[in-house]
Amino acid sequence: MARRVAVVGAGMTKFVRRAQETGKELAWEASRAALDSCELTLDDVDAVCLTSAPDAFDGVHMKGEYLSDGAGAFGKPFIRTYVGGGSGVFTAIQAWYTVASGMADVVLAVAEEKMSSTQPHPQGAFLTIFDNVLERPLGPNLLWIFALEMNRYMSVYDLDKRDIAQIAVKNKRNAAGHPAALLGQSDITVEDVLGSETLAWPVQRLDVSPISDGAVAVVVASEEAARRITDRPVWIDGVGWNLDTTYWTNRDLVFPEYVANAARMAYDMAGVTEPRKQIHIAEPYDPFDYKELHHLEGLLLFEPGKAPEAARDGVLNRDGDLPSCPSGGLLGVGNPIAAAGLMKIAELYWQLRGDAGERQVPGTPERGVAQAWGDLMQVGTVVVMGRDGVSRSSGSSPPATSDTVAATSLPVVQTPPYATAGHPLSDAQFRGAVGAVDHAVDARYEWDAGVAVGRFLDGLAEGRILGRECRGCGRVLVPPRMFCERCFRATDSWVDVRHSGSVETFSICHVAWDMTPLDEPQLPAVISIDGSDGGFLHVLGEVAPDDVRVGMAVEAVWKPEVERTGSILDIAYFRPRATGD
Amino acid sequence: MLEKLERPDEVRRWKGRIPVSHRYTPGVAGDVFFTALRDRGVLLGSRCDSCDYTYVPARLFCERCFAELSADAEVGPGGRLVSFTISYTGLEGEPLEQPVAIGLVRPDGADAAIVHRIVETGDEPLEIGQRMEVVVKPDEERTGSIHDIDGFRPTG
Ligand SMILES: [Zn+2]
Repeated sequence: MARRVAVVGAGMTKFVRRAQETGKELAWEASRAALDSCELTLDDVDAVCLTSAPDAFDGVHMKGEYLSDGAGAFGKPFIRTYVGGGSGVFTAIQAWYTVASGMADVVLAVAEEKMSSTQPHPQGAFLTIFDNVLERPLGPNLLWIFALEMNRYMSVYDLDKRDIAQIAVKNKRNAAGHPAALLGQSDITVEDVLGSETLAWPVQRLDVSPISDGAVAVVVASEEAARRITDRPVWIDGVGWNLDTTYWTNRDLVFPEYVANAARMAYDMAGVTEPRKQIHIAEPYDPFDYKELHHLEGLLLFEPGKAPEAARDGVLNRDGDLPSCPSGGLLGVGNPIAAAGLMKIAELYWQLRGDAGERQVPGTPERGVAQAWGDLMQVGTVVVMGRDGVSRSSGSSPPATSDTVAATSLPVVQTPPYATAGHPLSDAQFRGAVGAVDHAVDARYEWDAGVAVGRFLDGLAEGRILGRECRGCGRVLVPPRMFCERCFRATDSWVDVRHSGSVETFSICHVAWDMTPLDEPQLPAVISIDGSDGGFLHVLGEVAPDDVRVGMAVEAVWKPEVERTGSILDIAYFRPRATGD
Repeated sequence: MLEKLERPDEVRRWKGRIPVSHRYTPGVAGDVFFTALRDRGVLLGSRCDSCDYTYVPARLFCERCFAELSADAEVGPGGRLVSFTISYTGLEGEPLEQPVAIGLVRPDGADAAIVHRIVETGDEPLEIGQRMEVVVKPDEERTGSIHDIDGFRPTG
């Protein structure tokens, strides 16, 4: 039986575009603030769980070890976890099981990110998350993935861009009173978002949370320790995590099933049977505005496609029935990747204690859910937190309303215990910093195509598109693989699939990976291949950007045979196909 | 089940790299350290009284007790050789015309040691524990870099 575990302290740095602090110094500022907030010292900490996103951001290999002293891990059991953007919430889960298992009584969970070191743009560090053989030759930009998912979500539910943009507005307004926020703006409007530069349609500049530097830490303790440390612990009532396939072009881009799976796991543990009634406050992951809606649905708080309507009705506002991202989220506070996820845990801690100051949601929220998302947009990490007084198995706690304030409101701490360090560096200070060193990791790679994709590429050279059949589940897998990840058995045979398909989703991309403008927009698309159960990423041609539609029938346009080399580029592009044949 | 590769030389490979470089700035304490090195030619450390430990280069915090530290403990210029190695090959494994001596030196007043080149070695063999001294470039040549230090030289 797992021990009961609580969060008893939290601290964070300001999120800034570029911090003067090193990663270690940021981690220390946040960790020290978290310990100070509950009057603990480093001696009280039994173990440290740390997270930080790719090493390539800081340009420090073994970044976990590098950051460990700033996270208070000197001479202590220490581990770094990493699940991409899901890392921040996951490190709280890791702290939870370190304590729940009885291995430690007090754990410091720390998340740090310093993205400003990467030149010319941190996106360069992300390029290899695309399949190096099947996708990278197409010249992808990380924004493609998000733009493609957002477009699919908007198309299937017939959403207007305004439905999406309202989330960016809500969050940047929510962050206006946040002392650690980079992007708070009380007077921003939907028109501002719709008028911002189009990066990869439908993604515009203000739909995205920009890169940032920052750190967050929380103190996690066993029940016994928690009762000793504070009279207002916030319990970690449920945790869940789940991963979808890396074959993202085979995935349902409309509904994040992996988030739902993680949420079910966490709700089950927390005794939450009716999430919409029993969860009073949500901190879903919002690196893009559409993701908050997507994730609220994945968290089973709204029916698929219904979160935008709830947003329109004010349900998600700070004073709404289900405040969502009252912190301001990544869109408002900033997006130092791993730190931003743990910030959501810290926010629930402050909100559920009544310590959130200007950001405090009205009423007495008793239970909240925090969620993050990442890896190749495939992981869901979920934590359910509740304050004392919540019956763990109660199926129908009333949602918090302002009517209940007088009876049960908690004492409000006017000055939340934030670290207020996190010193921004201007461009000039960054360029002119004494002692600064520029360095490129001069590593080169050769990626093998492997067995299945090697054969697929041979097929392309012959003008064939090959899939691989799994008789276990009856699917024809494109891209092909030698094993079926669902049945976990060897696939059975090669199948020629059609050279036609339909546009599952598309984007109109105006920027390269380093965010420099493109002369001609690119039209990346996920193509569902006829005669298969899958599809792949490619680009569209012989079509005006404005004429592309989700669901449009398309066909492969091959390079002349003599020019084919056994590459994904042997298909020059897909073009619209006359249907009815 | 898996098809065996009969012509491994024909395996399809894609070459590539991760196209980023990094700009490392030295941080809050590092800024003070490099400024002092450039302007005054001295090594600054940070002293934690409660841990009875002096770090060098300077640090913003004590990793042992988490106290905030100031970058104001001047250490050196003398010190002791903690360990050394003599490298006869370069990064790519190529032989060096002139072997390079690398030392770990604990400056006087510090508990931590600094890694740097050993210069002016002379004919005497290096000995662990021997006295060393930091060799700093002339005022006008210092830019605020670890290369403002030429290295450490034996003094006896
Ligand atoms: Zn100390």
